[in-house]
Amino acid sequence: MPNANLPPGLGTALDELRATLDRAAELARQLDAKPGSDADLEARLADVESDRRELSTRLADYEHQVGRLMNLYVATYQLHATLDPAEVQSTIAEIATNLLGAERFVLLFWKESDSGECEIALSQGMEDEKSGFYEKGIYGGGDPAVDATLSDGVLRIGPIEGSEALACVPLMVQGTTVGALVILKLFDHKEALKPEDRDLLDLLAAHAASALFAARVYSTTDRKLKTLESLVKLVRKPT
Amino acid sequence: MKPRKILVVDDSKLLHRMFEMMLRQYPLVHAYDGQDGLERLAENRDIDLILLDVNMPRMNGLEFLAVVKADAQLAKIPVIVVTTEGAEKDAEKALAAGAAAYVKKPFRNEDLLSAIEKLTAAA
Repeated sequence: MPNANLPPGLGTALDELRATLDRAAELARQLDAKPGSDADLEARLADVESDRRELSTRLADYEHQVGRLMNLYVATYQLHATLDPAEVQSTIAEIATNLLGAERFVLLFWKESDSGECEIALSQGMEDEKSGFYEKGIYGGGDPAVDATLSDGVLRIGPIEGSEALACVPLMVQGTTVGALVILKLFDHKEALKPEDRDLLDLLAAHAASALFAARVYSTTDRKLKTLESLVKLVRKPT
Repeated sequence: MKPRKILVVDDSKLLHRMFEMMLRQYPLVHAYDGQDGLERLAENRDIDLILLDVNMPRMNGLEFLAVVKADAQLAKIPVIVVTTEGAEKDAEKALAAGAAAYVKKPFRNEDLLSAIEKLTAAA
């Protein structure tokens, strides 16, 4: 309330001062309330940090999955990219070495005669092999896991009792087992086959033999065709 | 920034295909043995990084590395040796001969990408 004894204008100044003090008091009250607001901000920050961590984990998982799918795609692509049997075999070896980390392995195919033996179409790292099962380019049986896979066409991943094989991958063509890829040792830095390797082993079971079979059929047909063409040329040659 | 150009020297077609998929953001130059790698280097003077296998026909990775490191211009290009466990001694020899890093096969894509990014960023 304006004081009559005060000089003119001072009352207004006092009113302004009171209003300023009121605003200051209001700000002080807001400041008192701030610790609560900090806690709120901290909680939100913690939420954001937790979301960031979860997204980061998911991103790493997705990257890993993308890598796994890429391996599968490249392996399939490369297996069917050629009709040269030697190149298909080389691709199978590259998949075993570069994607599965196999240091020692053999690729077996049933011999066409009913000898009960398999020819060793491809082998790697077998120089120090001591089991005696894989000799002179022939597997004559003896490893229970390999024999079982060759017989029932089931993929087996070791360790398997009584067998030195870490994995026996059946090679199938139109539902028939025509051979097996036997992995006997992994590189030292790869302790064991991982769950994602199972996909690659399944892929090999389904695609390796059919790719090799198609390449062999093509190669034989091509050779026969060239022989016939030569014969036809010879017959048509004017004497 | 201009994407870094990478020379891949490896006799495995599978790995060349893999690198094509994995390193889509980088222009790649392909070579299938050391001799082929040197020819590609002569044709492409703007290579920023080399991915090098050790066991290859004609000229292996260590022989290729020796030639590269003996050339004042080429010696500046960082080399990542991509090798198997059995060739770990070769990888150590490669590091001693001037390779910047090595990655063991089978590698995790993330690990190789991280090594490449580190070296291309530093270059």
